[in-house]
Amino acid sequence: MARPSIPPWPAAQQAERGSIPAHAGIGLRFPHHRIVTETRPDIAWFEVHTENYMGGGMPLRYLDAIRHDYPISLHGVGLSLGSAEAIEGPHLSRVRDVVTRVEPGLISEHLSWSVVGGAYLADLLPLPMTEEALDVVCRHVDQVQDVLGRRLLVENPSSYLQFKHSTIPEWEFVSAVAGRTGCGILCDVNNIYVSACNHGWDASAYLAALPKDAIGEIHLAGHTVKEIGGCTLRIDDHGSRVGPEVWALYREALARFGPVPTLIEWDTNIPAFEVLLDEASQAERTMTYMQGEHADAHAA
Amino acid sequence: MPTLLDTQRAMFRAVALREQDEATKQIRGDALSAAERLDVYRNTFVSSLTAALRISYPAVRRLVGEQFFDGAAQCFIDGYPPQSAYLNSYGAGFPDFLRKFPPAASLPYLADVGRLEWAVNVALHAEDLNSLDADTLASIAKVPLDRLILMPHPSIGLPRLDHPAEAIWRAVLAEDDSALSTIDLSTGPEWLLVERTANGVEVSPLTEVEWRFAASLCAGETLANSIAANAGDNVFFLLAQHLAAGRFIGFRLTEDRLSAPLENFS
Repeated sequence: MARPSIPPWPAAQQAERGSIPAHAGIGLRFPHHRIVTETRPDIAWFEVHTENYMGGGMPLRYLDAIRHDYPISLHGVGLSLGSAEAIEGPHLSRVRDVVTRVEPGLISEHLSWSVVGGAYLADLLPLPMTEEALDVVCRHVDQVQDVLGRRLLVENPSSYLQFKHSTIPEWEFVSAVAGRTGCGILCDVNNIYVSACNHGWDASAYLAALPKDAIGEIHLAGHTVKEIGGCTLRIDDHGSRVGPEVWALYREALARFGPVPTLIEWDTNIPAFEVLLDEASQAERTMTYMQGEHADAHAA
Repeated sequence: MPTLLDTQRAMFRAVALREQDEATKQIRGDALSAAERLDVYRNTFVSSLTAALRISYPAVRRLVGEQFFDGAAQCFIDGYPPQSAYLNSYGAGFPDFLRKFPPAASLPYLADVGRLEWAVNVALHAEDLNSLDADTLASIAKVPLDRLILMPHPSIGLPRLDHPAEAIWRAVLAEDDSALSTIDLSTGPEWLLVERTANGVEVSPLTEVEWRFAASLCAGETLANSIAANAGDNVFFLLAQHLAAGRFIGFRLTEDRLSAPLENFS
């Protein structure tokens, strides 16, 4: 079958510089490696999980090919910035190797922990919101930014429990990490919505408390609603389309932060690539619409 | 007030060991109890590690069925949580676990199929390193054989298996039941070479003499010792084949304190 002719697409120019534009991007997972390298879809940028491209072999060859045509953002899940113990040195070295190879436009990690006593718990676990935890996270963010020689974005988590001894509201904790270390914030709008529902917080107030200038990226994803013994818990499983309440909160975020690179994340029950393109166009349309609103507001 | 380390140790016990007592004392419960909230994290821990094992052991999974596999995986995960956030390296011990797992005792070849799958997994994800080039090979020719140690490519694996695991592995992955039914389980042992080539991961059967020579070289023996211990007639031909296939990435001399990457060998 003849390959379709490929028009020039905006990502090609961005790829040269590697910077992530204030447009919609897609979280790239292995099942879509081929369709992306073969059809070069019209999308501004991709984000990948750093941990999926450690080692060698085929995944790296795909990533090299995709990086040639698109800016890439690296999103880590394993550094465990909130571990009371030291950051795992070999893991930080592996992250640095991927960064050197990919020359990403953005690098992000989570406000959470996964490692204790040398065991990796394969999940993004919640931190007690204490002064001690804040010191630990800031020390580790400083260390990572030093080793990578780059600014890191730190993502607000979704969570299903709160510790009794927490003393700092999460939005203040996130803002303090950015303020003290100079890192940016990856504002996961779905996570804010999920945690706000699970803990009875005000999602709009959370958004309003974040420092506008520190926001470097937005994440959008789907979640599920689970009934446990008559109670509702929202689970951040990245396995469906972005819900209407999260789109609404996204519009609030754009109204506050202006246009920000926005990622569609989908990790379980990964759909056809077209579905992700469709979600990304909705994010793009929302960004364009909100820019219009913003201009109107200023003209009025 | 518990320190951060106290909290994380309590969470580890709740999530990895299902001992929730200490963690529940630190967690706010309301309509949903602390234990129910902890269960969400416990479930994610087990399901994401089970998913990692499924990816590395597809043939074992088909041999035992999904339900049995998930049950065995959960027992393994409870005993051996990962030591690193690099999950491609998780599950090396699963074949040995299966060998001693009483419910799998009726499938004596299962652990061998698992060992072969682990070697394939290592080869898939091994670092990209350049093989010895012509100039380096020329310089090796001047080194005395009793001081020369070759460094294998990290994708190379040399499983020696008691059962005809390769045939079982190929038949299971091809879903070829007729091939599977003709396998004579009494044959074996088998000596295999697993490596990543430009075409992907390849598994090739070796003779015992070929395998012993390759295993000796890859274990960091000097070339002279490898030749002496495995005195086949065609040993230099085998060496030339290995070098031409790019299976070695460097060399060192016996006095060098550099260590070769040997951890992939079983």
